[in-house]
Amino acid sequence: MKTKLLSISVLMAVTAVPLAVHAEYSVTDEIRVLQGFQAGGGSDALAQLAHPYLREILGVNFINEYIPGATGAIAWTRLSHQSPKDGTVISITNTPMLMTNYIINDSISYNIDQLTPIANVVTDPGVVVVHPDSPYQTIEDLLAAAEETPGRITIGNSGIGGDDYFSTIMVENASGLSFEKVPFAGDGPSATAAMGGQIDASFNNVGIVYGHLQADSLRALAVLSAERLPMLPDVPTLREIGYDVVNGSSRGYSAPAGIPDQARDELIAAFEELATNEEFLQRAEERAFYIDIVTGDDYMEMMKNMEETFSNIWDELDEDA
Amino acid sequence: MDSSMLMAGIANVLSWSNLLLIIGGTLLGMFVGAMPGLSATMALALLLPVTFSMEPGAGLSMLASLYLGASYGGSISAILLNTPGTPSAAATVLDGYPLSQQGKAGKALGVSLFASFCGGLMSGIALLVAAPLLGIVVLKFGPIELFAVAVLGITIIGSLSQGSVVSGLLSGGIGLLVSTVGMDLITGTPRMTFGHMNLFSGISFTVALIGLFSIPQALLLIEKSGQGKKKVANKITDRLMPLWADIKTLMPNIGRSGLIGIITGLIPGTGGDTASWFAYNEAKRFAKDKSRFGKGDLAGLSAPESANNAVVGGALIPTIALGIPGSSSTAILLGALMVHGILPGPNLLTEHGEVTYTLIWAVIIANFALLGVGLMFTRMCVAVTKVPDGFVACAIIVLCIVGSFAINNSFFDVGLMFAFGLFGYWMLKAGMAPAPMVVGLILGPVMETSYQQSMLIGGGSFMVFAKSPIALCLLILALFSVLQATPLLGIMRQRFGKRSTHSG
Repeated sequence: MKTKLLSISVLMAVTAVPLAVHAEYSVTDEIRVLQGFQAGGGSDALAQLAHPYLREILGVNFINEYIPGATGAIAWTRLSHQSPKDGTVISITNTPMLMTNYIINDSISYNIDQLTPIANVVTDPGVVVVHPDSPYQTIEDLLAAAEETPGRITIGNSGIGGDDYFSTIMVENASGLSFEKVPFAGDGPSATAAMGGQIDASFNNVGIVYGHLQADSLRALAVLSAERLPMLPDVPTLREIGYDVVNGSSRGYSAPAGIPDQARDELIAAFEELATNEEFLQRAEERAFYIDIVTGDDYMEMMKNMEETFSNIWDELDEDA
Repeated sequence: MDSSMLMAGIANVLSWSNLLLIIGGTLLGMFVGAMPGLSATMALALLLPVTFSMEPGAGLSMLASLYLGASYGGSISAILLNTPGTPSAAATVLDGYPLSQQGKAGKALGVSLFASFCGGLMSGIALLVAAPLLGIVVLKFGPIELFAVAVLGITIIGSLSQGSVVSGLLSGGIGLLVSTVGMDLITGTPRMTFGHMNLFSGISFTVALIGLFSIPQALLLIEKSGQGKKKVANKITDRLMPLWADIKTLMPNIGRSGLIGIITGLIPGTGGDTASWFAYNEAKRFAKDKSRFGKGDLAGLSAPESANNAVVGGALIPTIALGIPGSSSTAILLGALMVHGILPGPNLLTEHGEVTYTLIWAVIIANFALLGVGLMFTRMCVAVTKVPDGFVACAIIVLCIVGSFAINNSFFDVGLMFAFGLFGYWMLKAGMAPAPMVVGLILGPVMETSYQQSMLIGGGSFMVFAKSPIALCLLILALFSVLQATPLLGIMRQRFGKRSTHSG
């Protein structure tokens, strides 16, 4: 570990010099990053991984400010309503949580039009996991069981408004089946309940359960990505069996709306450069981060698509209720 | 268990640099723990970034020893200031403070240190021996079993109300009510938030705890500071080393409490705060003379202290064996593992065995560091007692503000803390104990969420609880715990007794 760290720091020292000359951030030498979750969580892990490289690219320091609460909504409200619109303050934006927060809850006052999306960085694809001794060998088995006993197959998710909750509904809508959706306080407890056999399956995320899949304490039935994942080559996608459900939990960076174009362009360029940094990509892979860099307008489009999908789903649910 | 990793782990821990980190971590933990409002979780969160650049083993050793140090440190201010330094020391106040008022602060701190040491060491050894085995048991605790645990916990409320049972139940009821504030987990509906975003995630019980315990204390100090010269922060006038005779009589109690701590730590979602109340309650139940509790009983002091340190090792068992944090503090340790590129889960014991066993050994060694550092450092706390009441009161309020702000970096929480503080002051004047309210706050969400989940899993039938042997046992235990406090049991016994004499 020590030698690895040493070699990394040597590499950084070598690469830092030319980069620092080419791309200085014109706005400030200190960027504040609002984080809507506790230090040590998944968003923080991304920050700890990406910031050293971004620091080299932009020549600025990153200062993390943790404002946990209301599943990130406090931090994002502050970003959109109360932060200087000059490129000195950005925030880690978790999708679809960023949108589902205000779709579900009328008292949350921000929306994505009040943001300047900079770049998505990682996407943790959804995955359906079961107990290793579960009678369901394939995803088809699970769906067949749901057809036999409608609403009695228990599916864990990470909580109302989370990506896994909506994934379950998307599968329900696509297949016409119904499950008993059991919300937990996060991905971890939902995976644990599947491991303990308290629920039939858990809709989870690959990054969370990868260790358990490796250790055979959980078994994956399907992934919710567009194509099969290189780390789980034997697990089919839902698309393969005829359900067009692609979902996951993504994390990226956004600034408030109305920041100067130059600041926006420089930030976007930094993330595009990050996407080509071999060392960063390798470090991300070591931590089972599934890098998915989408910048600028494309990131906005990604958010818009999610917003539409999830608000449609929620409106339908509201009508049913 | 791979013995080569076991040995590599101990070799790592016994290097000079790691020993220094462990001692430093323990000292820092004690200092932070002694400050009211700064919890072990918070201290861990603050130190975490510092360990990023360290070797994984070294960083984790330091974090673990800090956790352990803070678990003891919380008792220092509990005993001397009547203010729990950490949430898990709230139960320590009940008997610790009366002892220091009787001029036995040294004895109280010594016993607390020794109980912490025993609890911590027990859990360290349990961790080493049982981590690979006990991991399996943890998985048996799903929502259904967790609900039963919470119900059993709630029955503690009755025995915590000093004086009037009714006011205790009222206090507990308010706690349960306040715990329902926030987003409902099952429906996503915000409840009692008045559209205020800061209340969506509910009221952090740490914020409530700081307010309820510390602010009334500070206000009392200010009240008194004008009139008398009586110090509220008590001096250590007697010897710190506990007497062998005391230790001998306390040993069964410390052992039982340690066991409670390990088991409570083992169950995900419950930590030192819950364990210390459990242990206190059990100590009281087992005691021959219950009247001395709350007035400075050494058993009532050593039980929560042994338990809250035993939680450290207990909570690390599911963390290490399964990647499931057993408490909020181990959740941060888990975060630390991930920062070092180590994925949580069962492979912690195989692939990353060397780092994991370094951590386990560090927990054991840190207990000895705690005993040594504690004996030296605790005396320095006398300095706190030489400060005039008014200053102490101001210092407490400042620490309360810093502490409640630091949890979520939120000024709203500071306001909330003051609101709880004023309410706590009123409770104090009205003779209502704050402890049941805190128990309600802690266990309320656990009970509610796990109940709703159980209902979803069981298809809305109560039979789901009867089908789980663990849940059934716990619920029956809870029933007895309630009956024991009512005259019903006495009547039944009398009737039964009479009938048997008639027939016999």
